Amino acid sequence: MGGAGGGMSGSLNPLNAKVMAIVRREYLQRVRSKWFLLATFGIPLLMVGLGAMSGFLITRGGEETLTFSTGVVDRSGEVSQLVVAELLRDSLLASEAVGVAAFPDDSLPGRLVASDFDVFLVIPPELGLEVTDQPGVGGEYEEGPELELVARMNVNSGTRRTIRVAVNRALVKARLERAGVEGLDPEALLRGSSLSVVNVTEQGEARSQEVFQAISFIISFLFYMVLIFYGQMIVRSVIEEKSSNIVEVMMSSLRPWELMLGKIVGVGAVGLTQLAIWAAVVATGILYGLTAGAAALSEAGVDLSQLTIPVSTIILVLTFLVLGYLLYSGLFAGAGATVSNEHDAQQALFPVIILIVIPFVAAQGIIENPNTGWAIILSLVPFFSPLIMSSRLFVAVVPAWQLAVALVLLLLFIFLAAWVAGRIYRVGILMKGKRPNLPELVRWVRHG
Amino acid sequence: MDTPAIRLSGIRKSFGHNLAVRDLDLTVPYGSIYGLLGPNGAGKTTIIRIILDILGADAGDVQVLGRDDLEEVRSRIGYLPEERGLYQKMKVVELLEFFGELKGMRRKEARQEALIGLERLGLADRADEKLETYSKGMQQKVQFLSTILHRPDLLILDEPFSGLDPLNVDLLKRMVLERQREGATILFSTHMIEDAERLCERVCMIAGATMVLDGTVADVKAASGRQEVAIAFEGSGSFLDAPGLVERVSDHGQYVEVRLSDGADPQDLLRRAVADGTRVSRFELIEPSLREIFIEKATKAGLEAESEEEVDVWAEPGAA
Repeated sequence: MGGAGGGMSGSLNPLNAKVMAIVRREYLQRVRSKWFLLATFGIPLLMVGLGAMSGFLITRGGEETLTFSTGVVDRSGEVSQLVVAELLRDSLLASEAVGVAAFPDDSLPGRLVASDFDVFLVIPPELGLEVTDQPGVGGEYEEGPELELVARMNVNSGTRRTIRVAVNRALVKARLERAGVEGLDPEALLRGSSLSVVNVTEQGEARSQEVFQAISFIISFLFYMVLIFYGQMIVRSVIEEKSSNIVEVMMSSLRPWELMLGKIVGVGAVGLTQLAIWAAVVATGILYGLTAGAAALSEAGVDLSQLTIPVSTIILVLTFLVLGYLLYSGLFAGAGATVSNEHDAQQALFPVIILIVIPFVAAQGIIENPNTGWAIILSLVPFFSPLIMSSRLFVAVVPAWQLAVALVLLLLFIFLAAWVAGRIYRVGILMKGKRPNLPELVRWVRHG
Repeated sequence: MDTPAIRLSGIRKSFGHNLAVRDLDLTVPYGSIYGLLGPNGAGKTTIIRIILDILGADAGDVQVLGRDDLEEVRSRIGYLPEERGLYQKMKVVELLEFFGELKGMRRKEARQEALIGLERLGLADRADEKLETYSKGMQQKVQFLSTILHRPDLLILDEPFSGLDPLNVDLLKRMVLERQREGATILFSTHMIEDAERLCERVCMIAGATMVLDGTVADVKAASGRQEVAIAFEGSGSFLDAPGLVERVSDHGQYVEVRLSDGADPQDLLRRAVADGTRVSRFELIEPSLREIFIEKATKAGLEAESEEEVDVWAEPGAA
């Protein structure tokens, strides 16, 4: 052995029997626990539940519109009848607030409180009802008139939109009348278009851009959750062994990197098990959707034939997930070894968590613009590439060289991070009490 | 066997500016029970961690069970650290299986040994319960079992008796002696010299980062050159006034303890007493205790004030 050496000689098989014993223990202890059941089935239920709750609150909120009693304050004196008629068409209680139009703006709140109305809809004096045949000539009314609501209560976005659309119809009607056109349905005139994008892959497959952007977001969110969640699990495991004094016996039985590796693989296997269960549930759901729910889906505008995700993409995403996990879990283990309790852990983990938050935030812009220079660079940088490249795969055609560069750099950094973390781990795991400062950490890494 | 179970030569280790071990040479023969003695903070745990390659030494060579590379012999070592602990949430039999596997046993084999061991400890019917349901004393038993499950050739125990209840102290001693009879070498550290004196064949005393004594217990005592005699008598005791023969007398009421001068023959003192006409009812040579020898050595070695303080602490046994 001699001096500070030793450690690295002997069997170097990274998955030897001792490491496998650690893997097995970490895996079984977790998968058998109540926590695992709770997390595996509780988290998706929680997500669905939260989604349903917010949906419920939004739709319930929409019904309030019916009880509004709207007083139309028409300062132009030209469209009040039309506006009231259109509001009534949308089942909003409305009538002209007779005599109020003459009063200045600052008196309206007082008048509203004194009146039976819930809301005053103020229509400005100049409406620009004259339409010329020259485009762009409308003077100050190019933007259209600005309406104002003076309301006793909160007016939600759905109601605001309904009111705006109703007034627009009334204005179109008024302009048509002014131009001498009669009997046209303004709603038909206002009917617009919607735009959806179908991306064509190099294999000539069509896929819906909106749906794939949504998938891309889900992927970035999944990476973010998985990396932080399982990273913290490793940290807890490291701290448990430290605080319960188990680690010293472990250190007499195997090398620090073997213990660290066993933990990372064991916890990673728990994660893969969980993902496999979720994937199975989703797959069952999709199969069900294909048979029983296909009609409902196509009604909702989802074309299942444009949802096919190539197997190569799935393999790449899984590869990036596993490699990303290996990169970060080493850092988490190293950071965990520098502290003695969960309280200190939050501070020690901060730098690692920031390295996960940055690509998650960046991904939100990159999903919209996946081929800018920044997007490409960030998807190659080792700490960001797992999350960002995986997101880009769904919204851009990523050239093979970019994938190759990202993967090679990532592998390089996994070994580098494992080496640094391993040395911090080796020293830190036997330390108790005060957290090391940065110079001390550097010394640990240099002298291991 | 010619090579010793453990051989340390020229070991030096410091933490920052703190020198924890200074040029230590230490040899533990095969099959012996070897005591590593010293007050708290003397560096015993550091030495043990260096032997186990948990810590790297700054200088010097470590040879364990005849090998320079500890990896080759890890599975033949059992280690009970001073600060003990196990996974509370694991079933006891699986816990033992796990530690057996870490020592290179196959799982089946480890399970078998674990069940046999639990049976002997009277815990067989609770093998499938989680450790956290066990009492503290039972957890200590499980910890011993996990240390010797793989029948190690070298057993290293760091302050093994501290914090144990008396029943478990006896149990551990029995288990340790049993391992020794089967040929294992035992190295244990303690700050309680009385434990070492009862159990060990050889001792090594550490104080202030250096070794102050090393050898068999009998050698150490003989080499101390100290002789004391307990004498009970009727008479004036004027025979004790013999410069050159008697160095110091302490009166305990029923008897006196006489410290003889270096090289003096106790027979001379007995002769003087008889010639004086004293009736002697007890005349007994007292072996010096390791504690006394240590304190003398440590003081003679001119240790820094710091370690002398530790010696004082040591003068109160049982302050674990």
